[in-house]
Amino acid sequence: MIRLEKVSFSYDKQEIFRDLSLHVEKNEKVGIVGESGCGKSTLLKLIAGLYLPSEGKICVDGETDPARISRKVSVVMQAPMLLPMTIMENITMGHEYPAERIDRVCEEAQLSKWIGTLSEGINTYLGDRSDELSGGQAQRIAIARAMCKDAQIILLDEPTSALDAENTAAVLEALRRYTVDKTVVHVTHRPEHLKGYDRILKMEDLIGK
Amino acid sequence: MPVLKILLKRNRIWVFAAILAALVSNLSQMFYFVFVGKLVDKIAGRQTIEYSFIAILAVFMIANVVTVSLNHYIGHMTAEKMAHSLRMGYARKLLKKTNGENRSCDAGQIMSVVQNELAQADAYLGNTFFDIFSMTFSGILVLVFLLFQNALLTMTLLIPAILILVYVLILSKRMTPLVSETQNAKNRMNHAVYSTVHAFPAIRIFDGEKLAMHTFQRETTDWVRSATKLERRSALYNSLSGVLSGIPLLLLLLAGGYMVLDGHIMLGTLIVFLNLQKSLMGFIMNLPAWIGGFKIFTANLTRIEIE
Ligand SMILES: Nc1ncnc2c1ncn2[C@@H]1O[C@H](COP(=O)(O)OP(=O)(O)OP(=O)(O)O)[C@@H](O)[C@H]1O
Ligand SMILES: [Mg+2]
Repeated sequence: MIRLEKVSFSYDKQEIFRDLSLHVEKNEKVGIVGESGCGKSTLLKLIAGLYLPSEGKICVDGETDPARISRKVSVVMQAPMLLPMTIMENITMGHEYPAERIDRVCEEAQLSKWIGTLSEGINTYLGDRSDELSGGQAQRIAIARAMCKDAQIILLDEPTSALDAENTAAVLEALRRYTVDKTVVHVTHRPEHLKGYDRILKMEDLIGK
Repeated sequence: MPVLKILLKRNRIWVFAAILAALVSNLSQMFYFVFVGKLVDKIAGRQTIEYSFIAILAVFMIANVVTVSLNHYIGHMTAEKMAHSLRMGYARKLLKKTNGENRSCDAGQIMSVVQNELAQADAYLGNTFFDIFSMTFSGILVLVFLLFQNALLTMTLLIPAILILVYVLILSKRMTPLVSETQNAKNRMNHAVYSTVHAFPAIRIFDGEKLAMHTFQRETTDWVRSATKLERRSALYNSLSGVLSGIPLLLLLLAGGYMVLDGHIMLGTLIVFLNLQKSLMGFIMNLPAWIGGFKIFTANLTRIEIE
């Protein structure tokens, strides 16, 4: 499903890793841990087709073209990346989804209660007040967005880093249910979030093999 | 304390020097023109011109050149110093903010302030602010001087100018809401552009190009609409005041010409008037534009906090 063969990557002159290989089978759940700055987010962005490797091959669900790969994956980035639009538009990104689906992902991402308190509900414009959202609210919108897109491959980069314990547990449980029949690569500093995963890999073990 | 006051206070020595330079350069310029007028009178009256007179004229001419360039230099240095205080003050405030109390420390917001308010206030300080001192001094000095020379001729110049000024002022009052509307639209647009760039990975993965373009277009259209309206109106007012500003000069030429022919005043006096009317008219006619610019400047400053 996901195949990285001897991939190297540099930002301008700074090399992040060399000869990194990773194979993930269909429906496999893989956790990746490693110290801060070792290139975990960079790796997910490479898998998602956002960057081109300087060397090596990346193949995701049979695709090698980065733009096509991007269409096949869904991600929760480390930064929530909201746009000056309504909550609804930030979740659907302009695509038509059945109302039940949107309601369900809001429920799963623990957004419903908060949205219920807003006078304009899910149609509240985030606009230039997106800085007034809490980090957790923004992150939960990003999670709902990722669940709304119907992709077989889910990439998670510290998806609950801004959430409190209660929300973290609820969101992780929802993600577990949501990804039963999906392929997952989950980057985190907290191995306890990877319970039930098929494999937990250290970044350094992926390199030079 | 208002930002402008802090800036002036922090650079008070430079500001004082700039005011002084403006005063001195305008005085010297006025003396120079007066002596030119006297020279014309002497030539017209076929009087002999003493060496001492020419020497004094030369001294005033040189003093004029020196003080005008000094004024220019000090004015711009002061503006630079103030702009620097503004930028540094903003940076200091930001650093303090991230230490705690204020959480609206969003990068888009900061970029927007840096690109709009700060850049505009900076440009205003550099291009316009100290010319106002100079122009104001020369306007007032010249007015007093001309009144002493010939009150009637001064009034011929002044009264229509003031009438035109009032007219233009009333017109430009209607600009104020347009200015702030344009400013807000521009802020929204910049924010949209910034967050689109920032959220590009998400746009790509969730296939949101269409939505992002739509958002971007909406904000841009808003801005273009209010900006065109603002520009159209300000172009109209400016050309209107440009046309009208010719009227006082015309009246001066007519009335002054008759007075010279009647022997009521000397030709030199009319020359002095013609030379100096530029300063006076420049001051009066540009007043609305300055007030407008100053309003935008202070409006920009209210959005900037400094430390
Ligand atoms: N856009 C970029 N341009 C240049 N260098 C970058 C860029 N993004 C990340 N880096 C650098 O690449 C290295 C790896 O960054 P990355 O974000 O992948 O680390 P990470 O393992 O996800 O860290 P963390 O656990 O803190 O999230 C870091 O040294 C970082 O400074
Ligand atoms: Mg990271």
